[in-house]
Amino acid sequence: MKELINYLADPIRSFPITCVLYFLMMKYYKVVGTKKFAWIAGTLFFITAGMFAMDPNFWLIITWPDNIPISILILSVGFLTWFTLYKCAENDKRIEAGECPIEALPENREKVWAWPNLVYTELFAIIAGTAFLIAWGILFDAPLEEPANPTWAPNPAKAPWYFLGLQEMLVYFDPWMAGVVLPGLILVGLIAIPYIDTNPKGNGYYTFTERKMAVSMFMFGWLVLWLYLIIVGTFLRGPNWTFYGPFEFWDFHKVVAEYNVNLSEFFWVFGLKQALPGNLIIRELPGIILTILYMGIPVALTFNSLNAIFQSIGESKNKFLNITMIAPAFKCLAGIPAFIEKTGYIRYYIYVYLAVIMAMLPVKMVLRWLFSLKYIIALPEWELNL
Amino acid sequence: MSKKLEPGMAYDMKKLNKVFAFLSILFLAVTFWVFLDDFVRPWKAVQIQGLKVKQAKIDKDLAIEAKKIDDKKIAEFDAKIEEGEKLHASRSEVIEKLNEDLNKLDLLMKAETIKNGQLNSNVSATNFNWELAHSHHSKNEPDLFKLLKKYKKEFAESKDRMKGLTTQIKTAKKDLLATKSELTKALREKAEFIGARKLLLQARKTTEIDPIFVIRNAPMGDFLDPTLKVRQVVLNDITDDRYFQHVPKVDRCMTCHLNIDKKGYEDVAQPYATHSKLDLMVGAKSPHPMKQTGCTSCHGGEGHRVLDFNAPAHTPQNAEQKKEWVEKYHYHPPHKVPQVQFKVGYVEASCIKCHKGVERIPGGTVVNEGIRNLEKFGCYGCHKIEGWEHKRKPGPSLEKIASKVSKEFFKNWVWSPKAFNKHSNMPSFFSQANNSKPEHMKKNITEVNAIADFVFSKSEGYRPFSKFSPGNKARGKKLIEQVGCMGCHGVEGFEQDSKKINAFAGPYLTGTGSKIKSADWLVSWLKKPTHFQEDTIMPSMRLTDREANDIATYLLSLKNKKFEDLKFEPLDDKVRDDLLVEYFSAFDTLEVARAKLAKMDDVARTHELGKRSVGKYGCFSCHNIDGFEGRAPIGPELSGVGSKPLTQFGFGHEYDVEHSRGGWIKAHLQAPRRWDNGIDKPFKDLLRMPNFNMTEKQADSITVALLGMVTDYIPLRGVKSLDHHEKVYAEGMKVANKFNCVGCHKVKNGQWDETGGDLLKKEEYADDLNMGPPWLVDQGHRVQADWFHNFLKNVTPIRPWIQVRMPSFNLSNEEINALVMGFQAGAKQQTFVDNHAKIEWTPGEKNEAKRLFDALACASCHTTGFNKDEAQAPNLYLAKRRLRPSWIKKWIMNPQSILPHTSMSNFFEDGEPSEEDYFDGSVEKQVEALTKYVLEIGDIELPKAK
Repeated sequence: MKELINYLADPIRSFPITCVLYFLMMKYYKVVGTKKFAWIAGTLFFITAGMFAMDPNFWLIITWPDNIPISILILSVGFLTWFTLYKCAENDKRIEAGECPIEALPENREKVWAWPNLVYTELFAIIAGTAFLIAWGILFDAPLEEPANPTWAPNPAKAPWYFLGLQEMLVYFDPWMAGVVLPGLILVGLIAIPYIDTNPKGNGYYTFTERKMAVSMFMFGWLVLWLYLIIVGTFLRGPNWTFYGPFEFWDFHKVVAEYNVNLSEFFWVFGLKQALPGNLIIRELPGIILTILYMGIPVALTFNSLNAIFQSIGESKNKFLNITMIAPAFKCLAGIPAFIEKTGYIRYYIYVYLAVIMAMLPVKMVLRWLFSLKYIIALPEWELNL
Repeated sequence: MSKKLEPGMAYDMKKLNKVFAFLSILFLAVTFWVFLDDFVRPWKAVQIQGLKVKQAKIDKDLAIEAKKIDDKKIAEFDAKIEEGEKLHASRSEVIEKLNEDLNKLDLLMKAETIKNGQLNSNVSATNFNWELAHSHHSKNEPDLFKLLKKYKKEFAESKDRMKGLTTQIKTAKKDLLATKSELTKALREKAEFIGARKLLLQARKTTEIDPIFVIRNAPMGDFLDPTLKVRQVVLNDITDDRYFQHVPKVDRCMTCHLNIDKKGYEDVAQPYATHSKLDLMVGAKSPHPMKQTGCTSCHGGEGHRVLDFNAPAHTPQNAEQKKEWVEKYHYHPPHKVPQVQFKVGYVEASCIKCHKGVERIPGGTVVNEGIRNLEKFGCYGCHKIEGWEHKRKPGPSLEKIASKVSKEFFKNWVWSPKAFNKHSNMPSFFSQANNSKPEHMKKNITEVNAIADFVFSKSEGYRPFSKFSPGNKARGKKLIEQVGCMGCHGVEGFEQDSKKINAFAGPYLTGTGSKIKSADWLVSWLKKPTHFQEDTIMPSMRLTDREANDIATYLLSLKNKKFEDLKFEPLDDKVRDDLLVEYFSAFDTLEVARAKLAKMDDVARTHELGKRSVGKYGCFSCHNIDGFEGRAPIGPELSGVGSKPLTQFGFGHEYDVEHSRGGWIKAHLQAPRRWDNGIDKPFKDLLRMPNFNMTEKQADSITVALLGMVTDYIPLRGVKSLDHHEKVYAEGMKVANKFNCVGCHKVKNGQWDETGGDLLKKEEYADDLNMGPPWLVDQGHRVQADWFHNFLKNVTPIRPWIQVRMPSFNLSNEEINALVMGFQAGAKQQTFVDNHAKIEWTPGEKNEAKRLFDALACASCHTTGFNKDEAQAPNLYLAKRRLRPSWIKKWIMNPQSILPHTSMSNFFEDGEPSEEDYFDGSVEKQVEALTKYVLEIGDIELPKAK
């Protein structure tokens, strides 16, 4: 069993699993968003966690002072996600029944005094938070390390826990992509949300049906692409940034067979059976073309002729297409002209490009796992790799 | 929302207040927890326990004191005191009068002091005015001068009166004291008698837990002046690396090890025990006082941490202790500590990091044993060690090997040196744990064959200059024992002594008859080793032809039949070619490699493989081989091995080895090939570190020496910096060590520096060390530099009654100078002493000196030149040329203080002359006269030594 879990925990497998779980959660959010589900899931979670903790290697990982925030994070995010879905499910049921959301009930629209309703409760939060931090500080010593030594780097060298998602991205991307461009875009994207998302629905109340797109897009980025990567980086990456299953001993000498190949090498050496061209641009042309094509997708989606095809697939009654969610996805794509009509082209492109760039991460991960692809565009001469 | 709330309220105020109350109490509790957590520290319990330990010790001392103090004696003192008081009381009239007088005198004195002070300031002020007036030629100059004169006169008179008064007051006070002198004396006597006890009682009070103790150490108040507190030393000369910043080292070990620098707790259990070497370490008067050297500078670990038992990175001695600690202190191995504490017995490793540039470390018995073993096994041959560059290669030169041994012997020897000589320092490379598979053996055999062919082909020719003629074996054996061969060689036939002496400068002489190819070679070698090898350290023992032949006869009779019968398998051409192709294909394709091989003839192929194999196994690291000059040794450098991160030690699949630097090194020394266990490796990558068949003790001692080779930065002022004398002395000792002077002589310099004298461990000398090679104590003070220089160049016996011979070494002039200067610097002496002046006698002194000389019967031992008896002490006629006059004096005064075992009598025991009738019994005069006499006879023509 432990071997199986170790096997499944490898990002190659656990990432798709997480994606599927995420998808199921969003699809059946009305089931997830019930108290009954919370009780069952919570009980199962604690039982499993208890069983996991019996393993000495797992126990070592979760009790390492560095990792305690992650354990807290898992618990709190788990609860808050469920809570959101619970509220959404409640409201959506009401909305479907033609009622207003709970938050819009007259008794909930009544205004209240800032004191004591706000200020007093804030004080509670401050006291409770301080007490919690002090207790934490007494119980666990700061995880200090040995004096820094330039010739003796700690192994694994880990960033602070909140950056471990970024560090995990470094596995798949060039440092300037994973370290500068992508984090920068995350910030820009977060700043841009209020300007892109002009949908007034959901203001002041929980709902999913009224803003499916926005909620699932954000939650995917937050839960799957950010938190999942932090958890992997914290719990499952050991010495040499090698993957270790949750029950695996962090053997310093573990070696993993990994040899990554650039797209240009695939194309020229294996595809055309010829030496790499000396001209850098020609050498990387396949990757550049692919990237341009990828970046062209948002533009292509606006073409009317394509839209008709999307429409036909989207309305297909084929069982397979429906179960695999291909038909609904195309239905979604078919809605793009309507979307543009609502938002305008500028918002559309900003939004879609943010989404496309976000999608680069899972795309690149999958390519790496499937083909050991190193870089799509490899221009180390210009320090420009993608 | 069932309950109706007040308008404008989202929550019920009462409920909020309850939450607030709960949170407030929680917060208060957490705040108390902070103080409690800060207050309850494990070391406080240790210190309280320490108080009890101290109390027990004081109680023990008090009991001893109490035995000394008996009531009768006290009563006696009390009676005396009473008597004194009575006498004092009876003199009340006198006392009253004296007090009255004293009062009056005090009054006068006070008045006079004021007056005198006023006059003094008047004089100064007037003087200033007058000088000003004088230099400016003012009109009032004469008046001022008159005034000045007047003040000066009055001041002098006042001063005089004061002197008179002072004397009177002194007398009066003395008289007053005299009235109670009996009482004072009695009180003082009693105080002296019970003083020790009083001090002890006072000390005991500080160990009691009384209300004041509780108040001083109460929580929240204990920042003011607690008695339980963290104790520490801050070392400005030794620093700690704190994240790229070097800050003074802070050691707080004494917070728990309370008595580490205090005598008297030797038998107490840790942490309260006294340091085991208080006079060398930690003690205030030792060379390494705690306040200057600290603790972790030597012990390792994190001395500034006192959080709990684990914090300072204590290291258990063994598995049992570890188990005990786990139970007692929840011990766990330290995390993230670059240098954990050394185990007990390993601490001397740290000596090395500060004591650099010396052959042996004064006082470091364990580490010196390790250094000696590093020399013995020649580790520095293959592994560079900083500061060891001056050492010669540990193995003999192979440049003329063909004339010494046969090729067959060479091959069998290389294959398994221990099969021929179990004491051999040559390690085993073959038939080891990782290369015993048949296919490995086949390749190894081919390699050894090739090495032999290659080395022999490079060997120069040599013709012995002497012819062997069989001598007397028994006499040869006796000579070996007598002349001192065993200072450098173990010898078959003298197993017990050889084991005791444990010499390693030369090979253990066993099976020589099976080893040496030609008897002529052996005789030539014995007579004049430099004839065969110019830079050999083997000295000439000035053997006569007959002696040399006798010794050769004995040595040749030592045979190893079993070894002689060994036949080494011949070279396999195919295996040789395969091996060569593997070498050639390192950077070329197999095809090119094969073509390269095809171009070579048979001999060239064998020699090529031989050369490559010599390089592969590093033979040249220990032996001089033609063609390998200047090649870097093959092993990794050991200079910083004590700081090498643990993660960089390859433990392979050896899970039983203790996971520490020391554990790895020790395991490596005992079984160097073990790391290949369970690993699939090609032949060329197999570990090559040879097996020295070390005992655990030897491996332990080397481990200690290696662990000390750290890269820690220590400020210059923190390390032992050799002063000029010490530097020169160290240079001399390098030569003394190279030629193994210390194999025979014990060299002693100062309190802690003592090395060598291995030969003196012989059974023969157990009763009388005087029959062995003389100790070189204070040698630089004893002998004169020019005599010493000449002696080393041209050895002449000084003590003919000793059988062991001082050899004639093949020393260069520089080496002789280094030795002479070294000893001289060790004794802090000038190079030359003026010893040529004619002796000046005071009238009658010479005659008396002669009579004293006779009375002390000096000539009964120092017979040479005085009578026909056999000499038992050095020739005194030579003393003037050999010895320094100041040393002669020191020697005559107290010979045993220099050489404890000397047979020279001490004529001035406890500073009292044994012959009181001479020179009015004055020690200085007697010693002076004897010295003069000895020096004077040195001018007389030298009588021939008997």
